[in-house]
Amino acid sequence: MAEREIVFRVTRYRPTAGGRPTFQDYRIPVRDDMVVLDGLNYIKDHVDPSLTFRWSCRMGICGSCGANVDGRPRLTCGTYIRDLGKRIVKVEPLSNFPILKDLVVDFDDFLNKLASVKPHIIRKDWGDWTKEYTQYPEDLEAYRQQSLCINCMLCYAACPVVGASPEFVGPAASALALRYIRDTRDEGAAERLARLNTKTGVWECTFVGECSVVCPKDVDPAGAIQTLKFLATQRHMRRLLMPGAR
Amino acid sequence: MPNEYPARRRSGWWLRNPRYFMFQMREIGGVVSALYGLVLLNLLMQLSAGESAYNSFLTTLRTPPVLYLNLVFFGFVVWHAITWFMLIGKAQPIRLTREPLPWKIVFGINLILWFVVSGAVVYLIFGGM
Ligand code: SF4
Ligand code: FES
Repeated sequence: MAEREIVFRVTRYRPTAGGRPTFQDYRIPVRDDMVVLDGLNYIKDHVDPSLTFRWSCRMGICGSCGANVDGRPRLTCGTYIRDLGKRIVKVEPLSNFPILKDLVVDFDDFLNKLASVKPHIIRKDWGDWTKEYTQYPEDLEAYRQQSLCINCMLCYAACPVVGASPEFVGPAASALALRYIRDTRDEGAAERLARLNTKTGVWECTFVGECSVVCPKDVDPAGAIQTLKFLATQRHMRRLLMPGAR
Repeated sequence: MPNEYPARRRSGWWLRNPRYFMFQMREIGGVVSALYGLVLLNLLMQLSAGESAYNSFLTTLRTPPVLYLNLVFFGFVVWHAITWFMLIGKAQPIRLTREPLPWKIVFGINLILWFVVSGAVVYLIFGGM
């Protein structure tokens, strides 16, 4: 396969040195079958072993290789260099996250937000552990779309509201809350909606919609947030009209 | 965490992506809608203050600078309406069959209804002239 040379312009940030992140250019040979992650790995293996970035599965499953490529959040393992059609490919860390080193960001804040919506099945009484909780195909279909989330955080990097209000619970955590609320085995909807019906919850969303555009798994977090707004309002009205309701 | 580089939203972020730009224009359209509401309220206040106050306010509204400003504001309000119509089918997908209606169809229906209602209002106001 024919090779050509292009420039990878990559963000460098050395935590021990401090200061502002800078760009470093690497001229590397690329082929048509190479994705951006291949380019980064070429640099690490052949040019500069100090370049730091995350990756694992190389097949759009683990969600760890996200970066801003040419200004847009993407999975570097799913972005072909040839599709970018550029002689200079700019690779930066995901926006809206603190940078730990080079392309590696600190996502503790995202994990805390995720934990706050309790992304697991909640039951008051688990009863008999040997019993099966039967689900039909249509039950699965109700939450399948949101369950595809791989926690890649591209949606957080794309959301200007996250950038302006870092406390906002954000797109993926909301989508995963809806995934469990829609699960017929779950009984935790009231707890999650109580968390989301707050200033830092779904009401912070102004429906820019970019989270759904960049999502590599078609989770549609923007749509999920609007549904949650509806469910939160429904719950609020129910509690207003029927004191004692959950 | 030692020496993390803090997250910072870049100034001019909304110029980096056409969809962010469209969103910002939609938000400005929202502010302009509120301004129109204030103009209407003031119109009512002038009306209660008497005929001459009302007429002088109307004359001010008809001066060229205000008319040009109105044209710009009207553009923002139209954009605000159109972008919200685009979002309706995404915010509350309408499910008549197993698959929800595509947002473009919901958008189209809303546009048609908007034109029909606007046409009816224009006819009610100017139809007898
Ligand atoms: S919702 Fe999409 S973009 Fe956001 S973390 Fe999940 S898979 Fe990634
Ligand atoms: S390396 Fe796992 S999603 Fe890209």
